[in-house]
Amino acid sequence: MLKVGILGAGTMGSMHANCYAQLPDVEVVAIADKRTDLARKVAEPLGARVYEEADELIEKADVDIVDVCLPTPMHKEFVVKAARAGKHVFCEKPLALTIEDGEEMINECEKAGVKFMVGHVLRYFHEYVAIKKQIDAGAIGKPAVVRASRCASQPLGWQDWYRKREMSGGVCLDLIIHDFDFLRWCFGDVERVYAKGTTFTDIPVEYALVTLRFKNGVIAHVEGSWAHSGFFTTFEAAGTDGLLYFDSRTASPIRIFVRRKGEEKAAVEVPESPVNESPYLREIRHFVECVAQDKEPEITGRDALEAIRIAIAALDSMKTGKPVTL
Amino acid sequence: MVKVGMISFAHMHAYSYASCLKELPNAEIVAIYNEDTSIADDLVKRFGGKFFDDYHKLLEEDLDAVIVCSANADHKEHVVAAAEAGKHVLCEKPIATTIEDAEAMIEACRKAGVKFGIAFPCRYIPAVRRAKEAIERGEIGRIVGIKGTNHGTMPGGWFVVKEKSGGGAVMDHTVHVVDLWRWFMKSEVVEVYAEADTLIHDIEVDDVGMLTLLFDNGVFATLDTSWSRPKAFPTWGDVTMEIVGEEGVISLDAFAQDFDLYNNKVMKAQWIYWGDNMDMGLISDFIDSVEKDRPFMITGEDGLRALEVVLAAYKSAETHQPVRLR
Repeated sequence: MLKVGILGAGTMGSMHANCYAQLPDVEVVAIADKRTDLARKVAEPLGARVYEEADELIEKADVDIVDVCLPTPMHKEFVVKAARAGKHVFCEKPLALTIEDGEEMINECEKAGVKFMVGHVLRYFHEYVAIKKQIDAGAIGKPAVVRASRCASQPLGWQDWYRKREMSGGVCLDLIIHDFDFLRWCFGDVERVYAKGTTFTDIPVEYALVTLRFKNGVIAHVEGSWAHSGFFTTFEAAGTDGLLYFDSRTASPIRIFVRRKGEEKAAVEVPESPVNESPYLREIRHFVECVAQDKEPEITGRDALEAIRIAIAALDSMKTGKPVTL
Repeated sequence: MVKVGMISFAHMHAYSYASCLKELPNAEIVAIYNEDTSIADDLVKRFGGKFFDDYHKLLEEDLDAVIVCSANADHKEHVVAAAEAGKHVLCEKPIATTIEDAEAMIEACRKAGVKFGIAFPCRYIPAVRRAKEAIERGEIGRIVGIKGTNHGTMPGGWFVVKEKSGGGAVMDHTVHVVDLWRWFMKSEVVEVYAEADTLIHDIEVDDVGMLTLLFDNGVFATLDTSWSRPKAFPTWGDVTMEIVGEEGVISLDAFAQDFDLYNNKVMKAQWIYWGDNMDMGLISDFIDSVEKDRPFMITGEDGLRALEVVLAAYKSAETHQPVRLR
């Protein structure tokens, strides 16, 4: 039985806790969060112990895996501490806010001989897996021009950390990091990045438009938005023999709207795309298997590092107004 | 009755403009010139008027206005000759392939005291006008950034001969949307960055274009001009934009007024457009401006400003650096 300690009981921490709970031979035994009320809510159904401090969990809890779901600026400190304590480490994306921090995290995990995986969960999303399969099979011929969008409303988090660019890195590091990793998975390494966005302005909405030129010639456009309402993604890839297009807004097989008596305003219709196994469960299962069977995770430290390299290049391009060559 | 001469059917839009003229009660096609004389009988049968194999002879006729739909590089010769003959001119976009040609055309029309209009029919799409009104009313607050597309299918013919077209997808599909954005925001493009290449078809001009623009009001925008729609695609292409403001978002898909058609003989899905005919809006407005001798909304300067963006994009794609316009 593998024992897990989760750092952070926010959206991702409770999501991960829920995934571990569905897997055999693994149990969540400890959850750390300064917001102990929140931690207790996640911990109680699992019979896990609550720690107020992440340090305390790493030092005292008898765990094999530490799962880091803290705000991005805290990733390095606790990944390194967990690795040094001999724990296998799963870390939410993005890896870190700087290349130096990311490299240090990877090196420390290697030195400690522990498994390390970063949650680039798109690689476990049914639609993205299916898209990659088609591209790899030549369904669009040689890929040429690609468009990815990820639009959401402004996320809320602990002390509103998403809104602070020095903490979250804005949409480039926090949101479309998903698309950067997926595009790199499909098309290889990026040569050049050019970006415009609001991240370094006093404009109250976070929006970025990024152009990537891949080493294989592919030109890609990525839109990241916390300026929209709701959440949706789109993906389009055109090549020498065809085009594929995905829109999460039309790929919802069920929509439910509930009319409440006496309410003047129409209720919101909630679209859903239910799947038997959530992408998060697939992701966590893979990591648990890697630990149990001493295998290397599919998503390597270098993958996570290259993803933040693209995001940081986009931010640098925004700041300088120049393209950044990687 | 406004008497109109058609100079060339090299650009397929001429067929649509001529059909509109035929429908208008206050316009008449009096004369037609075309480089390819093999279709002379067909053109006269469809649209009326007298056929000329020499446009100089056509310009000797009693005409109020001419519509120039020759290949991009021939616009200057035809427009200048028409102006010198004292005819009002509506010219297909892009205005020309060089700044010098465009300036010479504007100057010739100014000197002759004739109207010089550029065919940017997208200004006549009702949904586009709704977007403009919403922006002007401040419905989405200050505009932050815009994501635009003007996708198409590779047109072939003279469009892919650089000498005649001046360039590929970037030349063909930049100007419509740039014109709309200038019109919406009363703002000029100050900087252009572009990735452009020939990645899809075996042709001598670019078929993928990804532009990033900066306007003098601080708004950033990207525009995908690619001929990325394969033959199997249900329609010719699109004009779309996501206009992100501080207080909201306008999503515009200009040709979305359509329905799906599946036909066994065609063996591909088709999107059948049923919205208003933008070309009719353009042509009837131009004819009305000639008849009433009032200014026409879309000027040679509008054409020139849009062309400047195209040429800056080509320069940027070559140098991999942003190009300042003003």
